[in-house]
Amino acid sequence: MSVNISKPSFQPYTGEKARISRAFDYLILVLALFLFIGSFHLHFALTVGDWDFWVDWKDRQWWPLVTPLMGITFPAAVQAVLWEKFRLPFGATLCVTALLIGTWVARIFAYHLWNYFPINMVLPATMLPGALVLDVILMLSNSLTVTAIFGGAAFALLFYPSNWPIFGMFHVPVEYGNGQLTVADLFGFEYIRTGMPEYLRIIERGTLRTYGQYATPLSAFCSALLCSLMYTLWWYIGKWFATVRYLNKI
Amino acid sequence: MATTSEQLPVSLESDSKIPWYLQDLPLYLKGFGILTVIYIGLRLYQGAFAVASGLDSSEPAFEQYWMQLFYVELAVIAVFVTSVWGYLWFSRDRNLDQLSPKDEIRRYFTLTMWISIYTFAVYWAGSYFAEQDNSWHQVAIRDTPFTANHIIEFYFNFPLYIILGGSAWLYARTRLPLYAKGISLPLTLAVVGPFMILVSVGFNEWGHTFWFREEFFAAPIHWGFVIGVWFALGVGGILLQAVSRLIELLDMLEEAP
Repeated sequence: MSVNISKPSFQPYTGEKARISRAFDYLILVLALFLFIGSFHLHFALTVGDWDFWVDWKDRQWWPLVTPLMGITFPAAVQAVLWEKFRLPFGATLCVTALLIGTWVARIFAYHLWNYFPINMVLPATMLPGALVLDVILMLSNSLTVTAIFGGAAFALLFYPSNWPIFGMFHVPVEYGNGQLTVADLFGFEYIRTGMPEYLRIIERGTLRTYGQYATPLSAFCSALLCSLMYTLWWYIGKWFATVRYLNKI
Repeated sequence: MATTSEQLPVSLESDSKIPWYLQDLPLYLKGFGILTVIYIGLRLYQGAFAVASGLDSSEPAFEQYWMQLFYVELAVIAVFVTSVWGYLWFSRDRNLDQLSPKDEIRRYFTLTMWISIYTFAVYWAGSYFAEQDNSWHQVAIRDTPFTANHIIEFYFNFPLYIILGGSAWLYARTRLPLYAKGISLPLTLAVVGPFMILVSVGFNEWGHTFWFREEFFAAPIHWGFVIGVWFALGVGGILLQAVSRLIELLDMLEEAP
């Protein structure tokens, strides 16, 4: 049995009109790249910020919760426009890639080459695997509900395992001054940060860490729930901002 | 063969390899180049003088190297905003009802270039120099709102992207019929929202008078900047407005090889 697929009613542009259309695409690509590096990076730096800047902030309790929760915002908003209006299935990947470019440039030139923080101390985390899955789920399901529940959850749950190969080595224990700490903690104590007294470092507060090996999965599943809700909220924020209204006065 | 003045424009047009709809491409590329030189120049200046003379605002060297730079920036910004916004306003098109589809398409391309230059400035202000603020304030004592990074980030980068965003808004308002008839909500959101980031500097510095030694980037005192930058998502609406109009305009053009 064959499936009857209706032919598209529009005619593709040819000749000069096709070139005009293509040239406009390229202009938009350049515009979008810098837009999302600039805007998503500022949003991310001022909400996740310290957990992403410093290796000793990358704990089991807050880092896997805060990063995906704040990181799913722009991807959801951009997907709402790129998928709904243009059928382009790469909104999340575009945002996260732009963010990674911005963070890497800043970590190398602003932290390492200016103020001599070791690059291992300021490595950015990645959300790229989660973003790819988020885009694929939206493309295959074409459903906000399915993407919010399964894509949002996957975005959060994939965060810690996809970063473990990068940061695991800094979490090995060392004995220092008759106390036990991690290599990441040692970075934090040895490289003076005048703007960050120890009481500001928000890691593993409360009693979640007494749950032992369950601290990370608990944080990740908490983040999965919140990401599903955050995804939906930001989908609608993206749609609202993509208004095409003209006003008579402001 | 002699070239008369009547023949000159025609021969120039035929020699040009740039398509008519990308007439402003060279200016756009020059804009990128000039901005890149300015931003990298400022970063090199920081690298040369920040540690030597930017750590203590009470030192005479701070006044010489950093406050002098601040005054120069203010002058440059004042001259730039007056000349660019003045040019865009006084050279406005007063016969928009007679605009041909070709000219309107070309102007949509130029508007997109203006917005692209705006987002390039947003990149330097929102991404690179913003994170560098955290890096610098972890090695310096912030004893003034005019630190070696603030002087560039808050008082040059922020005004500059606002001027460029305002230029895009003015270009659309003065040269494109749809934007002249009504005020585009997404374009206004995308320009006014990030403008509020500059206003948030006041709130930020007021807060840091209480926590002047601390640089906790994710703290609520910084969220004014965050809300401002969300409005950059209005670019999605600008894109939709432009695409729907361009489709109409392309339908009015004759087919060409």
